[in-house]
Order: sequence, then structure tokens, then C-alpha cells
Amino acid sequence: MTNLPLWLIPLFPLIGTIALAAISLASSGSKKGPSEGLTGGLAVLFPALAFVAVVAFAANMPVEGIQQTLCNWMDIGSFRADIGFLFDPLSRIMLLFVTGIGTLIAIYSLGYMHGDRGFARFFAYINLFLFSMIVLVLSDSLLLTFLGWEGVGLCSYLLIGFWNADLNNCKAANKAFIVNRVGDIGFILGMLCLAMVSGDLLNYAGLNAFLKDAANVEVIKLLLPIFSLAGILFFVGCTGKSAQIPLLTWLPDAMAGPTPVSALIHAATMVTSGVYLMARLSNLFVLIPGVMTIVVFVGLLTAFWAAIAGLFQNDIKKVLAYSTISQLGYMFMAAGVAAFDASIFHVFTHAFFKAALFLGAGAVIHSLAGEQDMRRMGGLLKKTPVTACVMIFAFFAIIGFPGFAGFWSKDLILERLYTFGDVGPIYYGIALLTAIITAIYMGRLIILTFFGKFRGGEELEKHVHEAPASMLVPMVVLAVGAVFSGYMWADMLGMTCFRDMLAPVVGSAQEAFRAAEVHVNPMMLACLGTAAAVIGMVIAWIAYGGNKHIPAPRVAYPSDGVQATTWTLFFDYVHAIFILLVNVLAWIVDKCVNQLVMFVQWIIGAIAVLLGDFASGFQVRKVRLQLCLSLVGVVVLTALVFIYGGII
Amino acid sequence: MLLHILVLAPFVAALLVALAGGKGVAASKIAIFFSAIFAALSVVLIAGGDLNAAPIDWFKLPGSEASVKYWLASNTLSAWMVFLSTVLTLVALISARSTIKCEYKNFAIGMLVLLGTLNGSFLSMDAVLFFFFFEAMVIPAAVLIASYGGANRKSAAMNFAIYTLVGSAPMCIALWYLVASSGVTTAADLFNYVQTMDPGMQSCIAIAFLIAFLVKTPIFPFHGWQAATYAEAPAALSAILTGAMSKVGVYGILVWVLAIFNLSEKTLAVMLVLGLVTAVYGALMALRGQDVKKILAFSSMGHLGLAVAGIFTFSPKMLPAVLVLLVGHGLSAGALFFLSGTAERMTGSRELSAMGGLTKVAPVFSFLFGAAGVLALAVPGTAGFVGEFLVLMSLWDVGPIPTLVGGFCLILSAGYMLRMIQGVLFGKRETAIVEEARISPLEGSAIGVLLALILVFGFHPAFIYEVRSTVVDTAVEQAAPAAEESAELNDEEVKALIDKMLAEEEAAAEKTDAAEQATAEPAVETAPVAAEPVAATATAEEAK
Repeated sequence: MTNLPLWLIPLFPLIGTIALAAISLASSGSKKGPSEGLTGGLAVLFPALAFVAVVAFAANMPVEGIQQTLCNWMDIGSFRADIGFLFDPLSRIMLLFVTGIGTLIAIYSLGYMHGDRGFARFFAYINLFLFSMIVLVLSDSLLLTFLGWEGVGLCSYLLIGFWNADLNNCKAANKAFIVNRVGDIGFILGMLCLAMVSGDLLNYAGLNAFLKDAANVEVIKLLLPIFSLAGILFFVGCTGKSAQIPLLTWLPDAMAGPTPVSALIHAATMVTSGVYLMARLSNLFVLIPGVMTIVVFVGLLTAFWAAIAGLFQNDIKKVLAYSTISQLGYMFMAAGVAAFDASIFHVFTHAFFKAALFLGAGAVIHSLAGEQDMRRMGGLLKKTPVTACVMIFAFFAIIGFPGFAGFWSKDLILERLYTFGDVGPIYYGIALLTAIITAIYMGRLIILTFFGKFRGGEELEKHVHEAPASMLVPMVVLAVGAVFSGYMWADMLGMTCFRDMLAPVVGSAQEAFRAAEVHVNPMMLACLGTAAAVIGMVIAWIAYGGNKHIPAPRVAYPSDGVQATTWTLFFDYVHAIFILLVNVLAWIVDKCVNQLVMFVQWIIGAIAVLLGDFASGFQVRKVRLQLCLSLVGVVVLTALVFIYGGII
Repeated sequence: MLLHILVLAPFVAALLVALAGGKGVAASKIAIFFSAIFAALSVVLIAGGDLNAAPIDWFKLPGSEASVKYWLASNTLSAWMVFLSTVLTLVALISARSTIKCEYKNFAIGMLVLLGTLNGSFLSMDAVLFFFFFEAMVIPAAVLIASYGGANRKSAAMNFAIYTLVGSAPMCIALWYLVASSGVTTAADLFNYVQTMDPGMQSCIAIAFLIAFLVKTPIFPFHGWQAATYAEAPAALSAILTGAMSKVGVYGILVWVLAIFNLSEKTLAVMLVLGLVTAVYGALMALRGQDVKKILAFSSMGHLGLAVAGIFTFSPKMLPAVLVLLVGHGLSAGALFFLSGTAERMTGSRELSAMGGLTKVAPVFSFLFGAAGVLALAVPGTAGFVGEFLVLMSLWDVGPIPTLVGGFCLILSAGYMLRMIQGVLFGKRETAIVEEARISPLEGSAIGVLLALILVFGFHPAFIYEVRSTVVDTAVEQAAPAAEESAELNDEEVKALIDKMLAEEEAAAEKTDAAEQATAEPAVETAPVAAEPVAATATAEEAK
């Protein structure tokens, strides 16, 4: 089994992309569009095949992982990069849930996108996204990871702007791409920093070998400033892709895309690639404690900030978007205290419950004919029971209710924060406070959506229906994951298979960074975590339960509601300042510098014309005189050349 | 023979097209047939490596012993530039079939003549012959703009012709002086002669040469002609102007300036800065543009500015970087210009405000346009990415600031490109499009091939730089020493480390015996700084 080439895994979605793009293009002339059966079959087949391939590799993976080099990419003498793949414990976990959840969401989309004219195009993008995401996590070098990194950003752009007749969607897509581009430049510059030391360092194996080699201790010490710079730059890349402060503004706007896209790209997979990169570069990051402190701070601040912002959203998808940012903040906190395994574990459990939440929200929106405003929902528990159950299970998971997946992973992060040196308890306090707020805004979402009376008007009430089976099945599967995936690493129950799996990749880095573990009573921390969840729920019930305090929706609710409530607590304004600066610069260049250049050009032209007019006075109509003058000129020039051997 | 065919046969083909009877159809078939053959031959030229045709004496320059020769030769750089000009001409002739209907014949004649002069300037070994073609290409281009351009075509053509001709006037005099006083005409001979010249005189001549190429590329502040010309020229010609003619400028800088003259460090620094300023300037202007073709013109200017900045880093990675960047840019900018021509045809306007919503009504066109736009963004997997990444790497050898400026340009390029895609493709469309102006299957597939080539070169750039010839390499080496110092400054820290590391290595080697050292070595080798483990062993053995 291990003889199979690794490039099979990304190949499947790539074939899917090409096939679906061909179908989409070929059918573009027809009114009706391609057959949904055929298109949908292909659209699910290729992600499923990729998943099967990953499972096959995962089952037969040797302990040290599989590394295969496909071919050379660039080789210009002083710099060389190969296209190679690395299937190790870290990429195994990532690939399993990327392709698994990808397949589930593709199935869900069959129902969600039913009847859309861009059916084939949508699935072509989804397949392209899976291809890029697989390359991102499967690559064995930073440069190839960057291919996936920009590739997923591109697919995110294409899918956010999927309904491109509405220019607001396009603007959200542009914003996502450009903000991500800023992060990507950080990534490129980080690579340049490492490549300055040696081109080999762009390769993960090369980097780890260099950093671990005892012979290099002195060199590494001297190279620390460069490594710190590289670390910061890579982290800038992570903040872009994973929507952390200061580059977080694009993610709430990205909700303009179809809901399955939000579930797949903007919750479960793409946005976690920053956390993946941190874990991948764990050996680099543990060398630079200063940068790690920045990471913790950014994570804490983002988690807290986004949780607060989540409290004030009325759009159901926006709440989930801020909640994603907040949860990503948790993951970065964990990475910042070198608990890389815990952060990846949270990535793993979060993928399940957040995807379930988004798909549930999608089902709600679907059943309400596109309504996203929670103030117009309510009482859906009875009308859409399956959706409600899925979302409530996922809700328990995200707030960290004991027994559910989020409990295990969030508790682990909190524990690692607490035991991190002297400042640990402070980190822990903020994280715990954030957990309470999480429970409040998620409780608010559940209450406003599923409890109380329906507030959307009678017309809409008749229309409400449960989602079709193709949407329900993936949701139920994800809900099961949201409950049980936590038992991969239930520390208190002695189940640590997740940690053991990741240990070969991140274990040594973590041990190097974390001082001897402070022993605390895990039960106490677990109780505090549970208390936070319960307190949050109670507050939410007091504040929003029983139809109290629900502001009436504005009468003239704008149709492009996705855009209407955009605010990221002043970071949008900070970005606006930068955009303004660039625009002012562009204005200066256009109106001043360019006009000046044109003016100089015009002056020279005008002088030439004036001289020409003046000279034409000589020209008269005497052809012979003209010829004579020309000849004299040539003779003089030639004479000069002969006399001086040159003109000057 | 191949070289002669590539340079002279386009003129013959133009003559045949002129003689072809009937309406445009016959002429278009002949023209496309011939240009397809030229494109195929250019691939043969690339595969053939360095070629050198026997020189033929042409005439004697008055006032000197120098005999000007008709002498053609090729190297990797020129072969790829010929590839660009022939391939883009082929697609231009295909795409012009739907754009220029009634007077296709004359258009094709002009394009073929232009192709001949472009190939001639890329393949000339003789400086005077190069200059002849360099000047000659302005005439067909200007005539084509004046006859087939937009509303302001006359003034744009005049502006273009006068600007570029005036720009190369100093070069004309400088070249005459140089050839007349040295009596030789090839770059290598001129290089030898220039060593004996007075430095002040030398830099005067070098700057005269540089200005001609800076105007042609164009580089800030010599870009005054560009935007209006690219915008007014028929789209098929704009693609050639940016895809091939602007490359003559960059090619000239590499082959006819850097390979001959020893530029002072100050000049090199100024050129680096000018390149970067052009990159930022082009990107910012593109950000404000309202006219699709002007946006593309400024975008081209920005990319070429980055290429020129890359050249003047003199990093060892520079040459493949710039070569890949140029090829990638030629293909993607060419494709975008062709498609902008189609968009103009369909909507009857070049303004962003008059376009929009084309995805719904013209899906195939939109697919191509969107793909071309995205591929021009230097997304990894495209030739543009390989080029720009390596150029950034070269800039990094100079210092972090130029790299940051380069990175800033990449962000801006995303900004204007997405803005243009949004303006052309997305939104709602109020007015109908011209139905018969839709993209034809042949045109679409020709542009599709260009886009596929961008991807192919993006994943396997070795196609481009692997057959690198020594001609340009040595040329660059000759020019490099002056700049090397500044490139090394940044690495000083690393170098110091390496020295220290090696010293420690040797000290350790002296203590332990050679056998142990031999086993320890493989581990050391992974550390890239320990570049000379052999030296360490040598000392160890001596110690023993």
C-alpha cells in the first residue's frame, strides 16, 4: 500500500476540477445547465476518492512517515526547490478531516445548491479548493505549502464571490483576497529570510535537521535575529489566513459566500492552516520565545475581541464567523505556549462542531428561504427538529460542556495555559472569561433561532420545512463527530492516542520549550471550565430566553443583509486608513507626478514645435539651398570624425 | 539558416500576403499559416541552443574601418524573446480576424513586418544591425496604430513614434561614435574596446544607450508615450507591444548595455531605484485607471519595472528570475490584452463603467478573462510566481527595503487586477452585448493555449532556463563585479558566522582523530553553512 505514490491524493480533486470546469464551460451555452445527477456524482466522487486514498495511506503509514519527491520545481544553481510530499502524523490528521469533511460538505452542497445555475462551477471550485488544501498540508516544503496557501486563498475568493451578480459579494471576495495577500507577502518574506541562510531550510526535513543538529548550536544562536524575523513574518502570514488580529476583518465579510463554503473553508479547513503552519514550524518557533509571546497575546486578544463582537451580531452566519475567529484565537494561544498538539487537537474537534453549526445554520437559512437575521427566526425547534438537534449538540461541544468534543480540547488548552510559567494563570483567566462569553453568544444564537415564538411573519412560517436528506445526513455525521471526536484525547480518562500520534512531529519541540510541567489538579480546571459553560448558558437564558429583549428587526431590512452589520470593532477602520493612504498615494501619483511628467513632455514637445516653426523660416522653397546645407552638414560631421577620431 | 528564416521570412510572408488576391479570407489564411510556422520554428530555435550564422559584410560605416555585418546569432535569452514575439503574433493574427474584418490584409502585412524587425533585433550579433531593427520596428507599429487604433489613434501614433525615435537618437550618435572609434561591432569586441576608454566618456555612451532602452521598456520617467499608445493601439497590437516590443528594451539593457559597459555603482543604484519606482508607479496608476487597456498598460509597466530592478541586483539568481518573469509576463499580459480587445468588441467601450456583468452573457470569455487575470497575479504555479519569487529573492540580496517595496507591489497588483476583473465580469449588465462579437472558438483556444503555457512554465520553469547559454552569463559576470560588493554587504553577518563555524570545526577536528571526523561529517553536511567539510578533513588529517 505504501508503494502507491502520494500525489494520487491531490490528483483526484484536480481531475474533478478539470472535469467539472469542462462540464461547466461546455454547458454554458445551454439555458438549463448540465444534468445535476452527473455533475453532482462527479463532484462527490473525487473528494471521496481522495478520502479513501488518505485512509489507505493512514492505515499503512510507517512510524516515521512517508516522504516522496515527485520532481524538481525550480533549480537555478544557488537555489533549488522540489515538488515533494510528506505524509507524517501531522499531515495524516489534517488530511483525514480535510478530505472527510470535504466529502461530507460536498454531499450537503448537492442539496443546498440544487437548482443553482452555477452548480457545476461551484463544485469545480470546491474540488480546486480541496486540491489546494491537500497540497498545503501534504507538501514537504514551505514553497509548495505556499502553493496550496495561495491556492486556498484563491478558491476562497472565487467562492465568496460565487454569486457575482451582486457587487457586494464581489467586494467581500476582493477584500478577502487582498487582506490574505498582505499575509501572503509575510509568508514570502519569511521564506526569503530562511532561504538567506540556506535554500535547504525551506524544506521541513532540512529545517528540522538544521535546527536539531547539535553541531549548529552556536550558529543558530547567532542566526536568532534572522529566525525571529522569519518567525514574525510567518506569523503575519498566519494572521492573514487564520483571521487573527490585525488581519481579521475579511472573515465576517466572507460569509457572503454560500453556506457550505463557509462551513468548509471559513470554519473547518482553510482558516486553520495558520495553526497547521505553526505546528509544522514548531522547531523554529520554540527557538524564539519573544515571537511566541506575541502569538499568545494575539491569540488571547483575538479570542476575547471576537467573542465580544459575536455578542452583537444579528446575522446567524456572522455570529458563527466571529465564533470561528474566537476559536482560532484559542488555537493560537495554545500554539503560543508551545502546546502544538493541543492546538491541532482543537483544530480537529473544532472542524466537526463548527462545520455542524454552519451546516445547521445553512439548513435554517435554506428552510427560511434565505433569511439570515436571527431576529426573524425563533421556535424552529419543532419545525426543524433534526437541524435543531444537530446544532444543539454542536452548541454543547463549542461551549465545552462535559463529555462533548469541545470540552476535551478546550480544557486541554486551558490547562496548558494555566501551567505555563508565572504568567500562565493570567492567560488562563482571560481564556476562561472568553469561554463564558462564548457560551453567552452561542446560547443567544440557539435561543433566538430555536426557542420562543417564530418572528418571521405568517407568510414565511408556512414555508418552513426540514432540509432534504442529502443535507441532513452529513449534518448528523458531523454532529456525531462533535460529540465523540473528543475521546481521541480525553486526558482524564487516560485516552491519549491523539497526543501519541502527534508526538513524533511536535513532541520534541514542546519538551524543549515548556519547563517542567507544573502539576495541577486536572479535575479542578475541568470544573472551572464546566462552570464557565454553565454560567454563560444561564446568563444567555436570563438575557434572551422567553422572547425577552429581542429587538424588533428594522422594517426596511436591507436585502444585502450580509454586508449591513459589518463591524470588527474598529479594525475595519484601521484597514480603511491604510486603504486611504494607498489611495492618496495613488492620487498623488496620478494627479501630481504623472501630470508633471506629462507637462515636461509637453514643454519639450512645444519647444520642438516652436523651433521647427522657426527653422521652417529657413526652409523656404529653395530645394537647392536645402540640399547644399544638408551636404555641408554631412561634410562638417565627417570632417570632425576624421580630425578627432571621434565626435567629441 | 533557421536564424535567417526567422528574421527574413516574415518580410517575405508579408509580401506574399500583399500579393494574395481576394478579400481578407485568403490573406488571413496565408498570414496565420506563416506565423504558425514561425512559432514552430521559434520552438526549434529554443531547442537548438546557441546558433551562430556566418557573418556577411554589409557596408562600411563612414569615417571608420568598421565593417557592419549582417550577422545573426541566438542564445537562450534571445530565443525565448523570439518565441514570445512569434507566438504572440500568431495569436494576434488569429484574434484580429474577428476584430479587424475589412482591412485584415494590410493589418497582417504590418504585423508580419513588425515580427521580422522584432526577431531581427533579438537575433542581431552586430550592434549596428541591432540598432537598425530597433529603429525599424517603430515604423510598422506606428502605422498600425494610426490605421487601426481607437479614437485618438493619430496623435497616439505620432506620440509613440516621436517619443521612441527621439529617445534613441542619443544612442544613434553614441553608437556611431563607439563603432567609428573602435572599428568593431559585436558586443564582445566592444566590451574589450570599452576597457581602454576614458571612464567619463564610457558612462556618457552607456547612458545614451540606457535611455533608448528605458524609453522602449518603458521605465519611469520615460513612460509618457506608453499608456496612450497601448490604449489606442488595436488590442492585438497592444499585446505585441507589451509582450514583445517592451522586452526589446529589457533585452537591450542586458545584452547591449551590461555586457559592454562598466557602469558605475551609482548608475546601478539609480537604475535599481528607477526599476522599483516604476513598479510602484505602474501599480498605483493601474489602481486608479478607468480604461481597461490603460490598467493593463500600467500593470505591464509595473511588472517590467520589477524585472529591471531585478536585473540591477546582479544577484546570481537574477538571470533565470528575469527570464522567467519576462516570459510569464509576455504570455499573461498578451492574453489579457487580446481579451480586453474582445471585451471592447462586445461592449463597444474600454471604460470599466461601461462593462460589467459579462459572466452571465459571455461565460467562455469570462472564464478566459478571469483565468488570465488570476494567472497574472503571480499565484504560485504560474510562471509569474516563479519569476517574481526569484526576483524578490534577488532583491533580498540587496536588502530588505527593496524586497518590501517589491512585496508591496504584489499586494497592489492583487488590488488592481481584482478591481478590473470585478469591473469587467461581475455585477449586473443593463445593455446587451454585440452578439457577433463573441469570442470565436479558434481565438478562444489560442488564448487558452497561452494560459496553459503560463501554468506549464510555472510548474516546470526548467524549460525556460535549463538551456541557458553562456553568452549572457559571461556578459553579466563581466558587469557584475562592481555590484557584487553591495550584494555581499547584507550577507556579512552570515559570512561571519560561517567563518566562525569553520574555525570551530577545525579546532574540533584537531582534537578528535580523523576517523571520528569522517563519521561526523554527513551530519555536518546537512548544515548548509559548513560548505567546506573537505577543508575540515584536510586539516584534521594534517593534525594527525
